[in-house]
Amino acid sequence: MAASNDNMAENDTQSRRDVLKTAGAAGAAGIAGLAGCLEGGNGNGDGGNGNGNGGGSSEYPSLGNYPIEGDTAVLGFNVPQTGPYQEEGADELRAYELAADHLNNGGGWVDMWDDLSGDGVNGYEIDYVTGDTATDADTARESASRMIERDNVIMFSGGSSSATAIAQQGLAQQENVLFMCCLTHSNDTTGGDCVRYGFREMFNAYMTGQALAPIVTEEFGDGLDFYQLYADYTWGQTVQQSMRQFFEAEGWNEINSVPTPLGTDDYSTFLQDARDSGADVLFLDHYGLDGSNSVSQAVDQGIKEDMEIVVPLYNVPMAGSAGGSIEGVFGTDGWDANLDNEPTQVFAEAFEEEYGSTPSSPARLAYSATLNYAAAVERAGTFYPPEVIRELEGYEWSNGGIGEEIMRECDHQTMRDILVVRGLSEDEQDPDSGRYWEVVEQSSYPDAVGYDCDSGPASECELGEYGDE
Amino acid sequence: MSVVGSVVGFAIQTLAVSSIYILVAIGLSITLGTLKFVNFAHAAMYLAGVYIGLGIALELQFTGDIARSIGLGNVGLDLGFLAALAIIPIITFGLGLLMERFVARPFYDRPDTDQILVTFGILLIVQELIRAFVGGRSLTFSRPEWAAGAISLGPLGTYSSWRLAIIGITAVLVLAVYLYIEYTDVGLAVRAGTEDAEMVNLLGIRATRPFLVIFGIGSGLAGAAGVVGGPVFSVVPEIGVGVLVPAFLVVVVGGVGSIVGSVVGGLLIGAVEVGLQMNAPTWSSVGIYALAAVVLLVRPAGLMGVVEVDE
Repeated sequence: MAASNDNMAENDTQSRRDVLKTAGAAGAAGIAGLAGCLEGGNGNGDGGNGNGNGGGSSEYPSLGNYPIEGDTAVLGFNVPQTGPYQEEGADELRAYELAADHLNNGGGWVDMWDDLSGDGVNGYEIDYVTGDTATDADTARESASRMIERDNVIMFSGGSSSATAIAQQGLAQQENVLFMCCLTHSNDTTGGDCVRYGFREMFNAYMTGQALAPIVTEEFGDGLDFYQLYADYTWGQTVQQSMRQFFEAEGWNEINSVPTPLGTDDYSTFLQDARDSGADVLFLDHYGLDGSNSVSQAVDQGIKEDMEIVVPLYNVPMAGSAGGSIEGVFGTDGWDANLDNEPTQVFAEAFEEEYGSTPSSPARLAYSATLNYAAAVERAGTFYPPEVIRELEGYEWSNGGIGEEIMRECDHQTMRDILVVRGLSEDEQDPDSGRYWEVVEQSSYPDAVGYDCDSGPASECELGEYGDE
Repeated sequence: MSVVGSVVGFAIQTLAVSSIYILVAIGLSITLGTLKFVNFAHAAMYLAGVYIGLGIALELQFTGDIARSIGLGNVGLDLGFLAALAIIPIITFGLGLLMERFVARPFYDRPDTDQILVTFGILLIVQELIRAFVGGRSLTFSRPEWAAGAISLGPLGTYSSWRLAIIGITAVLVLAVYLYIEYTDVGLAVRAGTEDAEMVNLLGIRATRPFLVIFGIGSGLAGAAGVVGGPVFSVVPEIGVGVLVPAFLVVVVGGVGSIVGSVVGGLLIGAVEVGLQMNAPTWSSVGIYALAAVVLLVRPAGLMGVVEVDE
């Protein structure tokens, strides 16, 4: 079972839960969620049962796109190939394709993970289809729907953005086809919008707040005023809430927080207002192209002369696009290709050999999501979704390049370490090796980040049915 | 900040936001006014300005799938920003002439819908060609060193040096085109053709050549807009479509065929955008559409639009 911890900001979340319970409706949801936690869930990584019934045996009834017809299992990779998060999407797609290749032919982590053979998955060759979400929830849902109905995918995966991931996992639950979240950082993904058919390895805004607040407040000082600009959709909204929660808990004071439309090109007016506010620190809760635009425009506008800048969620494509503007800027990321451990080096080398570039953290998420699903299928000995879900729930692993990880059973949120990073100057950056920042701290679970199943975003999670009840 | 400081600050911010819209809108407006040609491919000139400008000023990295398969590496003249600003309008002027001859002219007598479909199609083709060769990754178009960082204007606030430079460059270019159209024979023919093309023909004036020149000038301005706008935003293939929509709204608000209209429309669009970003940010992305709708209801030809003689 998933481990848990009792630290940080417990009082806030606890009282919030109590209020929700009092309200009634969420109380019922909580009971259902608890029931979900108690039932099923056999997996803790103790190996497969080896029944070898593949995807098409008669042991299980038809459900979603199970059983698979033929000898090829099709996966769907639904990423933003256009829109503000297109760079992340492009890197994710490369990693998905690499994962499919490794599953069929060996290589990378497939050679390291005992559950995987490098000769397909559970006797099936792996094929895939791709889609473009255009960083838009409706488009993502339509594309995923095509994958399920036309291409008969047995699993699909994708994100960013969080809005697209939430839309897709809602569809996954409805259609009984598994969705492995890739890049989605909103609290809602494994909070109020969690589903039984969705799993997330990525951490969330709440955990970013836990990791960033103590380090940044110690670095910049006590009692500072801060101002937030946040992307106006589920991800940005939860980042804004979590930053306020954890930085105010550390004694800082939020002067104002202003929503900015997703896909905004020009932040100059917003930035001017932020400067005029007199705040000491500016949080830019933007991501992808929006993030690189806002941080480089902030620096160009001379904001750094008056304020410190924090970008809560970073990644390599974004940092590369912003260049020297990120010097001294704090943020978090899920992984770094320069970490000194074997899985990291194996993946980074395989990716670089295939594509000639250093993989980003979203790429690692995509690769990991695909392989974790495949490994769960192997352990379950079937593609039958409820059995695969039960294998993933509570699964613990440590060969993903970021230490110990636990796919929690109660909310399908992975508890894991987070990197707190600080941007390097342009002279210190090394684009060839994907080095744009220094890792200030690997904030570890459960000491520095994480929360119980009845607190934080998890308190709002009700996973729903397995489909075989 | 004092009231005067706030007002001047708002004005500077509006000018900074409006400048690129105006540069792109002028070409759209003139071709629509004179040639009755709806040219969505105009944004391809902006793209050409950004990407070719990057190759001239610095270096262009070819990382797209096709470029990789044929072993195309990095190409750059590294001539600096000013060289790009001088060369790009000439290149895009030439591209504009080619576009007029081979794309626009065969469609002059076709319905608007045909023109929109073919020109928007061309824009998408150019966009995807860029993606195939240069790649989808965003590129950084570094600001020239002489305009890097910020300038403090005392009580009026602190502004990006580059944004202020853009305002100056835009003012010079727009003024030059305005004087050309107001005080030259070519400009006279164009203005006359805008008001009554049939009469200009009956008077024995061959409007084809002036129109061709004006098409090229509009393209040159869009190319210049690409060069000055490149360092402001992350450079990705979609920026062409991104700039097309507000530029088209500028034409709708300002009225077709009028340089002054484009300037007024651009400033209004910019002011609404900046005002909403300051006071009601969640509405900032829809406010400019609301403005266009109101203007269309009150003055269907736009604020400064020319009502044709035959209407």
